[in-house]
Amino acid sequence: MTKRIGKIIATEKMPTTVDEFYFWTDKERVIKPFDVVKVEHIKNSVTFGVVEEISHFTDSPSFLAGYISSDFGDVDHKANTERIGMNYVKARVVGNTEGIFTPALDGHLVSLADEEDVKKALGLDEIKNPLPCGYIEMYEPPYDIRIPVHFNSHFLIGPEGAHLNISGISGLAAKTSYAMFLLKAIQNQYIHSEKENESVAFVILNVKGRDLVAIDEPNNDIGNADKAIYEMLDLAPEPFTNVKYYYPYSKEYPTTYANKEDVKSQTKQGKAFQFKYIYEDDKESIDLLFSNVDDPTQTMESIVNYISTGQGKFGGITNWEELSKEIHEHTKKGDTSGRDKEITVSSWRKFYRLFKKTLDKSSIFANRLGDGEVRLKEQIKNIQKNDVYVIDVARMDEETQGFVFGDVMRAVYDLKLGQIERKESDIPSKIIVFIDELNKYASKDVPKSSPILRQILDITERGRSLGIILFGAEQFRSDIHDRVKGNCSSYAYGRTNAIEVSKGDYQYVPPVYKSMLTRLKQGEYIIQNPVFRSLLNIKFPKPIYKQFKNG
Amino acid sequence: MDKILNFLEEQTGGTCYRSYKYCVDETEIPSVNYEESQSYTLQRDRYGETDTSLKITKDISKTAKQIQGNTPLFHYFLDGSRRIYKVDDIELGRKIFPIIGGQIGVACCKRENPSTFKKAILEHNLVMALPSEADKDGKNTEQFFNSVTQKINNLAKLQQYNLKFSKILTYPSKQLDRGETFENLGIAKIQDEMIECEKKIVSELVKKNLLNQDKYLLKDGSLQYKPMKSGDFRELSKIKSNYQCVVGLSKQFNPELSKDKTGKSNATKIAKLPLYHRTPAFMYQTDIVSTEVHFCIWYLRIRDVKYTESPFSGVVKVEKVLVTDNELEKGLGSDEVDLISANIINERSPVAYGTDTRWANHLYPIYLTEKYVKSQYISDLHFLNLF
Repeated sequence: MTKRIGKIIATEKMPTTVDEFYFWTDKERVIKPFDVVKVEHIKNSVTFGVVEEISHFTDSPSFLAGYISSDFGDVDHKANTERIGMNYVKARVVGNTEGIFTPALDGHLVSLADEEDVKKALGLDEIKNPLPCGYIEMYEPPYDIRIPVHFNSHFLIGPEGAHLNISGISGLAAKTSYAMFLLKAIQNQYIHSEKENESVAFVILNVKGRDLVAIDEPNNDIGNADKAIYEMLDLAPEPFTNVKYYYPYSKEYPTTYANKEDVKSQTKQGKAFQFKYIYEDDKESIDLLFSNVDDPTQTMESIVNYISTGQGKFGGITNWEELSKEIHEHTKKGDTSGRDKEITVSSWRKFYRLFKKTLDKSSIFANRLGDGEVRLKEQIKNIQKNDVYVIDVARMDEETQGFVFGDVMRAVYDLKLGQIERKESDIPSKIIVFIDELNKYASKDVPKSSPILRQILDITERGRSLGIILFGAEQFRSDIHDRVKGNCSSYAYGRTNAIEVSKGDYQYVPPVYKSMLTRLKQGEYIIQNPVFRSLLNIKFPKPIYKQFKNG
Repeated sequence: MDKILNFLEEQTGGTCYRSYKYCVDETEIPSVNYEESQSYTLQRDRYGETDTSLKITKDISKTAKQIQGNTPLFHYFLDGSRRIYKVDDIELGRKIFPIIGGQIGVACCKRENPSTFKKAILEHNLVMALPSEADKDGKNTEQFFNSVTQKINNLAKLQQYNLKFSKILTYPSKQLDRGETFENLGIAKIQDEMIECEKKIVSELVKKNLLNQDKYLLKDGSLQYKPMKSGDFRELSKIKSNYQCVVGLSKQFNPELSKDKTGKSNATKIAKLPLYHRTPAFMYQTDIVSTEVHFCIWYLRIRDVKYTESPFSGVVKVEKVLVTDNELEKGLGSDEVDLISANIINERSPVAYGTDTRWANHLYPIYLTEKYVKSQYISDLHFLNLF
């Protein structure tokens, strides 16, 4: 089923080249950016192109001619003849069936492609280790087609390439939904995998509302249309399995937005736990509490070192309360007992103020563990293949969120570095960490000394070989540290705003795609992956797990 | 590969000078303005239309507004054009003659609805004009040139590009009158050939029953065809029935030549013609065409004078051949004159403002037809390099 839609135009000023060509179409032809077209070419070959820009023009040489043509500005005037006009389309060459690079020739026919052609054109037909990442829709009825799109999983979660960055404005871009869709696809694939050396586990941080606190419960609102899409993508329309939820400890009820009943029920089923930080085991993570504090003279770092190495009177401390008191001692003037002379009182005071603020606000800093209470580090040490850990930090303040995230990353890193005594074959070969609002920890404004930033850089730069994969999401890609972005193999661009697309990060994106980025619908993404020959405009179905209205 | 000039030398026994080849239309506008050379004989005291009471001008804007939105009267549009090239000079019996090449394009486009404008008939011919002297024997000139045309078309170079010359025209190698040039004689031949093509297309439309009371043809330029020495349509008087539903529209006319019913110059009246007004229709006859053919002619202003460059731009000259005995006796029905005028007024937009300096006198469908014809030409370089 093909449909001829126009012919190639090559002019002196606009020649066809190895990279692009132009063709005319009827002015009423519906075609859109990202649609694939094919062109008859020499030696019985076919050149494929992806539509980039569509322009309409008439023989009117100026605006004034338009005004005059309407009977000198009469809006009611109707002409017997419409001005002659046509659309011309700029398309980017994505390949030729015979590998011929000769530019498309003037007057050659341009037609819509069929499913097989589109797959061939975009390089979707020869993807190894396929992992569903959405679907593309093209053309208008009766020629409309829908094609599933697959990543090569080796380019998403290693070993060839790793890490994914998702950007887009809150709500409209559905970043979390897309990340979860991919994670679900990964779990689906690996849970049935019989390969010993290929296994995954997931650590997901829930940073807002109740988004991710019921990912193992089905979404009852999902319709047949979405189910059909899951089926087309070869995905079981079932929620996540092997999920464990970790809520921050609080005396009465964990610090969370989740429903009390839900948490109770999850706890009863043995899949929800409350986490705490115990001084003696977690004192080495204190530095993470100060990751967003600008520390040009490194005094905060000195204090953290001083404490964690047990210098002065800090050696004998066994709980957070004592630590707080001891720090307080150092803030008093004139008392020099056991104090590092290098650190000034004012620095201690600043440290104390920041430390006390976090300590008082959160109940997770406790003396020991009770029933159903756990330490996250300990849990991550024992993470099993196909496990999904959801760590809820949504209701915590920003410093504590950072602390928990940093600690989790550190734990994952230690596990994969072999710092933990565990049989290598029992440890999941890949651990995928998903964090929304990555800009809080890895933005360009985060102090260079931030231990969390260092941790993220370590993971993006060395994680691929270690098997730690970061799926990060943020509103504005341009905010993110260059080295973090640069090390991602795949990018998903959701809807964003005009100011963002004018930034340098989008320099290579053609102008029409840029403006499309500002108009993408919910559930639509433009994705980039080394195995695709061009950017792809994909869609994905509604989440398969329980959704909460109002977050 | 054989070029045409070598072949012509061989066939005519002349010598080609290999002089500079160029497109005449670009470098110089021919001095003979054929359309302007027409001269009319006004049929004194005879009216061109049935309403004899019309003495001054008539406002057509109301009629135009009334019929706006109805299917327009004009369904077909015809325009012819030619592109002339000075290809070379050839020495024949101690005299030097130019070899003139030309592309003739005549197209008829149809408008099915406001957004569908398509080709109905297209004639695109490559021609050459040679002096009659080129035939050495001079016995059967037509046969000689037909055979040369045939042989030229068989040249590998033309076959390669799938091109064909339709005709070799001949211009007289006589003694030139003052101010006359062989170039112009050649050009005139090509012009005649173009007009012949136009007539052929009108005849084709009539033969196919495509023209009727609801589907008129609007032709660019005058309908005053002078008789030809040859061809199927040599005399307008013989084929005037073909022109029952054809209106000729001249963008340019010589106001000095326009006279009113009494034979006085009409120029100032035309200059002062109010917007959407027409003059009374006059009956003319011209010796150039034939004494048997009478025309009904009137002028119509389609653009406000305040927007135009001169008082005459914005005014078009409308011509219709009078066909029936009744028409010949009483003139064209005034209702028809009004209807044609109103329809022309309604064709006033879009305009070719900015792309054609004659925009004020141009009608867009005609402009499009002209564009289409020109788009069908092969490029000048391509044409010149055939020789």
